[in-house]
Amino acid sequence: MKAIGWIAVRVILEIVRDRRTLAFFFLVPVLVMSLVYLALFKDETARVAVVARGAARLFVYDLERALEQEKDVVVVPVDIPDDVRDPKLIQADIEDALRKGQADGVLYFEESLLADRFSGKRGTLHLYLEGSRPTLTGLVASAVGDASDDLAASLPVVIDSDCSAKCANSVNVKPLQIDKHYLYGSEDYRLIDFFLPVLLPFFVFFLTFILSNIAFQRERVRGTLERLLIAPLSLPQVVLGYMLGFLLFSIPQAAIVLVYLLALIGFPVSVAQVGDLCVITLLMLLIALLLGLLVSFAARNEFQAVQFIPLVILPQVFFSDMIWSIDRFAWPFRWFAMLLPLTHANIATRDVMLKHQHLWQTWPNLLALLAMFVAALLLLAWVGRRHRDMLG
Amino acid sequence: MIEIEHVRKAYRGRPALHDLSLHIPEGRIFGLLGPNGAGKTTLLRLIMGVLQPDAGRIRLFDGLAPGSPAATRQIGYMPQQLALYEGLTVRENVRFFGHMYGLDGAVLDARTTEVLERVELSERQESLSGTLSGGMMRRAMLASALVHQPRLLILDEPTAGVDPLLRLRFWDWFRRLASEGITLLVTTHHISEASRGDEVLFLREGSILEQGRPDELIRRYGAADLEAAFVQATRRAVPGDDASRTANGDPGGGDPPGGNPSTGQVPSGGVPA
Repeated sequence: MKAIGWIAVRVILEIVRDRRTLAFFFLVPVLVMSLVYLALFKDETARVAVVARGAARLFVYDLERALEQEKDVVVVPVDIPDDVRDPKLIQADIEDALRKGQADGVLYFEESLLADRFSGKRGTLHLYLEGSRPTLTGLVASAVGDASDDLAASLPVVIDSDCSAKCANSVNVKPLQIDKHYLYGSEDYRLIDFFLPVLLPFFVFFLTFILSNIAFQRERVRGTLERLLIAPLSLPQVVLGYMLGFLLFSIPQAAIVLVYLLALIGFPVSVAQVGDLCVITLLMLLIALLLGLLVSFAARNEFQAVQFIPLVILPQVFFSDMIWSIDRFAWPFRWFAMLLPLTHANIATRDVMLKHQHLWQTWPNLLALLAMFVAALLLLAWVGRRHRDMLG
Repeated sequence: MIEIEHVRKAYRGRPALHDLSLHIPEGRIFGLLGPNGAGKTTLLRLIMGVLQPDAGRIRLFDGLAPGSPAATRQIGYMPQQLALYEGLTVRENVRFFGHMYGLDGAVLDARTTEVLERVELSERQESLSGTLSGGMMRRAMLASALVHQPRLLILDEPTAGVDPLLRLRFWDWFRRLASEGITLLVTTHHISEASRGDEVLFLREGSILEQGRPDELIRRYGAADLEAAFVQATRRAVPGDDASRTANGDPGGGDPPGGNPSTGQVPSGGVPA
């Protein structure tokens, strides 16, 4: 029994004397949880705008008040000039506002709404939805449904010709008809369809990072890296060889994830979209490889190399637009999110898969990924040179 | 073969080698002895061009600078660690290191076969390195250090953890290599086996304590063997210094930052027989 106690003491002593392990062990969970709390302590809210023309403007105030009563919804303005009256132009402007991210949904009152109600029709509200985020779409649709019921109660009563007096005095409030228009996706669009696409860059990043981190660490610890550097080879040559090997190994892995993803996804995907995804995936592969190599230089042994995994992976899970929209974060966390490669890969992947954008349309994210690749390469060259100077 | 003139090296202000000058002729077995921190590894790394001296000059193979491609192609290196790829077979390991030195095709095949025969590993050449015993791994490492036919072979504790019989076999191979004109630079904690070399250098705290033929050194100190000569040389250099201090204490010399974490060996340099 005493031996068990001594083993425990030995384990604790070793951990306590390795300051980095100690810091990782206690600080990483607290750090990540603090970041998540600070970034997300406010619930996600959907932004709804209301656009009306003609006499329908009369109802805007009531509707906006009704919407503001709804939980997790805020009313925001959108930039559509008053003098635009052609419904087609208004529709184009609304879609443009949604595309720019000014709102998650826009409710449009046609000029004829009041006249329609007076003439006994139900009247139609047009709800334009951005549609790429199922949770926000659900919040908007639910809030607008409730608010329109309140509005219908204040509108002129519509009584069918076959409605009796009793009917007119009781359930005489006909609900407004809400026509939904989706900028991206459709009513059939599932929550899982929102998450599935970003699992591709996530798995590619996660697995490649771990593989390159641990494998290069082993190369250092067992002395084979030293042997390679004593051969007529430069560190960049060794690193490039490593990258090529991992790349050829990781590409089939990424292909398997992609094929399975396409099988699970609930909407058709074009060949061009798959090609675009391959470009994003390749960039993520390269960045993950370089980060893995960088971290392996920072760690003194395989134990420490493993400790870097949660530090690199967890923030990218929580802050990369994967689960929560980074638009809702306070600005410091938004900036932090923009420093993470997975953020850009996720946004670009959703742009391609869910918004049917071409790769060039998501160029800021591609540019960010390219810049991160170059930065990681330069950093690796610097760290590698420093390591060589301190070899041993 | 190796000319070292007034070389100094320090790590963050801590001196590792003091004004060291040395000439190592071709085709000799040159033993580097000293306790941990004496500066042996630093000296080897300076010769291999991995480190640069703070002052002084090193020239290899008639005027080549250490680290230059022409110089590194002529150096074979066997580190202290069991530096093999465990997922590759013995033959694949040797071939891999041959590729690193630009060898290929039939030439590489022939040389791989030759060096594996030399270290008597032909029968296990298709075994995964990870399945070999420590002694076999050391033989495979020697083979992979020889595959590109180096002129200078640097062996850092080549017989660490090797049984006495195999250790003798190693020294037979070293002797044969030297007779073929290869220069061998060997560090070892087994001082008795260093007496099999042609010349020995005692290092302590980054300075040369003694240098000469093993039999000359034994005679010079009137000692029974090289180990006793080393102890006496150490005591003479540092009056009052006892053997236990040399053996167990780090005298503050010069392994690079990080040292040699893999060895964990207690130097046998000061332990009297």
